[in-house]
Amino acid sequence: MHRQDSPMKVSTNQAGILLALVVAVCAGCGTTPPASFRANLVEATKQRLTPDQERQVATILLAMFGTPDDPVALPETGLDEAKLKLCAGPVRSDIVGRKNGLYREHCAHCHGISGDGMGPTAAFLNPYPRDYRPGVFKFKSTERADKPTHGDLVRILHNGIPGTSMPSFALLSAVQVEALVEYVKYLSIRGETELALVRQYFELDDDAQGKLPETREFLVDEVLTPIAERWNGAADARIAVPEMPADIDMMASIAKGRELFYGDKANCVKCHGVTALGDGQANDYDDWNKAIVEWRKEVGGDKDSDWVSKANRVLAGDALRPRTIPPRNLRHGIYRGGRRPLDLYYRIHAGINGAPMPAAKGTVDPQDIWHIVNYIRSLPYEFDGELGVDRPMVAKDRF
Amino acid sequence: MTSRSLNWTHLVACLLVGVTAVLLSFGALVTTYEAAMAVPDWPATYGHNMFLFPWAEWLYGPWDLFLEHGHRLLGAAAGMVTLVLAAVSWRSDIRPAVRWLALAAVGLVILQGALGGARVLLDDKTIAKVHACTGPLFFAVAVAIATLSRRPAAAAAGSLARLPVALLVAAYLQLVAGAQLRHLDATVDPSTFHTLVGLHILGAVAVTVLSVVSAVVVSENGSPAARGWSRGIVVLVAVQMLLGAGAWMANWGLPSGLLPESWQWSEPLRARSLGNAAVVTGHVVLGMLILAATVVLAIEAGAIGGAQAGREAGDGLASGRVFA
Repeated sequence: MHRQDSPMKVSTNQAGILLALVVAVCAGCGTTPPASFRANLVEATKQRLTPDQERQVATILLAMFGTPDDPVALPETGLDEAKLKLCAGPVRSDIVGRKNGLYREHCAHCHGISGDGMGPTAAFLNPYPRDYRPGVFKFKSTERADKPTHGDLVRILHNGIPGTSMPSFALLSAVQVEALVEYVKYLSIRGETELALVRQYFELDDDAQGKLPETREFLVDEVLTPIAERWNGAADARIAVPEMPADIDMMASIAKGRELFYGDKANCVKCHGVTALGDGQANDYDDWNKAIVEWRKEVGGDKDSDWVSKANRVLAGDALRPRTIPPRNLRHGIYRGGRRPLDLYYRIHAGINGAPMPAAKGTVDPQDIWHIVNYIRSLPYEFDGELGVDRPMVAKDRF
Repeated sequence: MTSRSLNWTHLVACLLVGVTAVLLSFGALVTTYEAAMAVPDWPATYGHNMFLFPWAEWLYGPWDLFLEHGHRLLGAAAGMVTLVLAAVSWRSDIRPAVRWLALAAVGLVILQGALGGARVLLDDKTIAKVHACTGPLFFAVAVAIATLSRRPAAAAAGSLARLPVALLVAAYLQLVAGAQLRHLDATVDPSTFHTLVGLHILGAVAVTVLSVVSAVVVSENGSPAARGWSRGIVVLVAVQMLLGAGAWMANWGLPSGLLPESWQWSEPLRARSLGNAAVVTGHVVLGMLILAATVVLAIEAGAIGGAQAGREAGDGLASGRVFA
């Protein structure tokens, strides 16, 4: 195995290297600056931070998390720094067959260097790539407000998200997928820490003179540790799923599920529509877009012209145009969070975090959730005309 | 056939076109698989002299090493063939266009090699973009030499020649725009990417319109060879449009909002799949082939190496020196 630091035969290659460097100067080398994390200017501006305060947040984050090329994992995060190093930095190999920069190779073009969902391609994609910074993930096996487990993120990377631009990374090695999951968690913990810090200025008393304390007790114990604990405790928040009875009468279960779907208790019909084509209430936003919509309204109604002008600049450069989130068409047979009955159970039980889909937990009995799952799984195969809809309803007839 | 009758300039130029086509295909694959930094040193390969790197490790080692090291070896081969071509053309071909193009090819191949080295040594994406633009330019020059050295060039055809030249320029600029998308730095903002995609689509429209208009004009006034090339280009451009759409879909799925939701695939996209790489790389390679075809068309239409070259060639033929 060859390493990068093995002695190079520079003496025989000096002319070539010199020529290459001369050409590089002529071609404008150094025009690609080293990557840096982009500040969460939307939140900083929303909280009306001063430039000094924005700089303080950036300095603290640099000390706690490092840079995109050289990430740092404090022990409290529970993150494996070796895995982070595999994903960080530009794409390059230092040993034959070992590729670093995995995040930039596979993820950053959509999710952005900072994990803010603002990569170069983001504006073209629908739905927009996930912004990891609030630490909210949709498709998981935990309760609605809890973090996804490590396995949930591995599953998403392995399976991709059908019906979206998120591909399956099943062709990557298990080591690479593990490392990418670790890096996504790192970006998420970093983003949540940034949000927490920015919001802390609001609670400062006069003695603080507008500066956050830069002590370990405050930064690590008060801010970072609670965030990291929620990630590290995600496995304990897994939804307890009752077994679907092995001898279940499937036709009866589907009928019962249909009844629940249209009934007041589950009330799936409100958004997914009487046809289940996703044509019910369709003018809602997910949490990421809703935050921008609401802030736009706030900016529009503010009298401070300097702040409004800064806010408008931030909205134009650091936020994507808000889009509504249509309820899923359940007759396509495309389930973004996974097609297993268990995945559908999770979606109905806990709802979809960050999306208008509410949790049925507490409203619908666990066994009844299985009936709804069975009905939903039957929808792509329900015969035409049954609901009086003049569109192809059966999955196999769509093509 | 005696050795005296062999057109060595043309033969070597054809060899150069072949080697360069494979070289560019490897280069396109290197970008598709982000393998440019699979070998972190240059011109050595993991400390070995490039030509002495263990061949078994190259052939049976990791895919990205195979691509990058193969790209370097092919680049070296192209460089050597270019030097031979320059020597042969200056010794045996009296056509100034061929001679000077051969000399330009030497300059370009040295520049391209140095750019490739600088891209690795400095790990710089801007240089990667320049490298990706110089490659097709070198290919175009190689094709021009091969075409011009084949036989006396067509006589200049006045206004007829302008369209193929415009098409050639548009095809090259389209490759330049494509290179900006392919070597996109992840730090750029969405609006920059938006602009680049817009430019690439505009370029596609320009190339399509120019190829169709060229085919129409050339079919009325051009030589049989020019007619054939112009029609062939229209077909290639049509295929290229499909590959372009395919490249988008392979990366990001069906464009939302443009097509019915019911057309969405039930299976997720698959990163780094063979089909994905074939479509995306095929789009790049076909773009280079279209550029090559436009070079031939421009020459056949008399736009490059036209009247003067034709006269020189005629003189050469008369004196028996062209194919000497």
